[in-house]
Amino acid sequence: MSALKLLVHLFIPHESNNQKARILHPISLGLIAMFLIGFQLILSLGYASFPKVLGYAANIAPLEVIRLTNVQREANGLSPLTENTILDSAAIAKGNDMIAKGYWAHFAPDGTSPWSFFLSFGYKYQYAGENLARDFSDAASAVNAWMASPTHKENILNPHYKEVGIGVVEGSLAGADTTIIVQFFGTALSGAPSIPLAEAKEIAPSPAPVLTVATSSPIPQTEVVPSISKSVSSPFAFTKNLSLGIVGLLLLVLSIDLIVVRRRRIARIGGRTLAHIAYLGMILAVILILKAGQII
Amino acid sequence: MRSFVKHLPHFLSLFGILFAGFAGLILFSYDKNFQLSIAVAAAAAYVAWGVVHHILHKDFHFEIFLEYLAVAILGLTIIFSLIIRS
Repeated sequence: MSALKLLVHLFIPHESNNQKARILHPISLGLIAMFLIGFQLILSLGYASFPKVLGYAANIAPLEVIRLTNVQREANGLSPLTENTILDSAAIAKGNDMIAKGYWAHFAPDGTSPWSFFLSFGYKYQYAGENLARDFSDAASAVNAWMASPTHKENILNPHYKEVGIGVVEGSLAGADTTIIVQFFGTALSGAPSIPLAEAKEIAPSPAPVLTVATSSPIPQTEVVPSISKSVSSPFAFTKNLSLGIVGLLLLVLSIDLIVVRRRRIARIGGRTLAHIAYLGMILAVILILKAGQII
Repeated sequence: MRSFVKHLPHFLSLFGILFAGFAGLILFSYDKNFQLSIAVAAAAAYVAWGVVHHILHKDFHFEIFLEYLAVAILGLTIIFSLIIRS
């Protein structure tokens, strides 16, 4: 079979493919789905086996996170937060703790609370809160994701907070290279009316935190991301580009199918091509809009 | 075009299902598990739409069901890959 005949067979309704492009047959679509699953497995193995080669880093500037947070506060009629270097250090320590102990949560598996980092760095608070984000490629995406979540938005727009600290830490979580953003909010107890520590308020998006006494433990240092851009070639980017290619090709073949079948007045047993185009069009829109990153 | 106009009420319901799925995936971008549930629901609704549509037009065959199922599985695989990687 010549190359041209093969292309026709694969992509255009013809006698050789029973008047439907071979790539649109259920078996071919199933094979493409299996290829995608295999690609994900290879990608995971590749990143686990060659993290130094395939690893990626994001471009997160702590000052930009603070600036964007304050833009949101000011847009909602609230006073901007002041950066506190003690909170910065506490946030970096929290990020390092997550990397060292391999967890992604407000509370460590050993019960260490976010608030213990405030206290271990000498920040006695009247109010305290924490937002976490990981795998975002830039500060704006992370702040936008927090603002899209009601509980995280509540933290950002909480009028009780006066200060903020940001820790951006890079490391490996569950075998995957990641960049974690820790956002600590606080209002220092010293500048406030005398309120016993036991009545202090802590706010994390979920679950509701419980006040515990601070525990200090040695925290292994890992690399702290500087505010300098590095390469961005994440598994998400690979997956997104491959998905775009496959869905784009299928939409093109379906469009050709729609035109050819109508012009040649081909009668065949099959689903509605327009319905497939609508469904894959939705998938394409989702691919284009989905962005990397998780928040808790 | 005549075929599309003939099936317009059916296609409007399909577009509604797909738009609801798309909007849900965007609105609940902070909850991955819910996003995965929405993707499954949209894919299942798409297959169900295909079956009902062809039964009503008296041209339903098992091969058609397989075709809708294959497209839905492919779409789900893509959405799952992206959501899990995001």
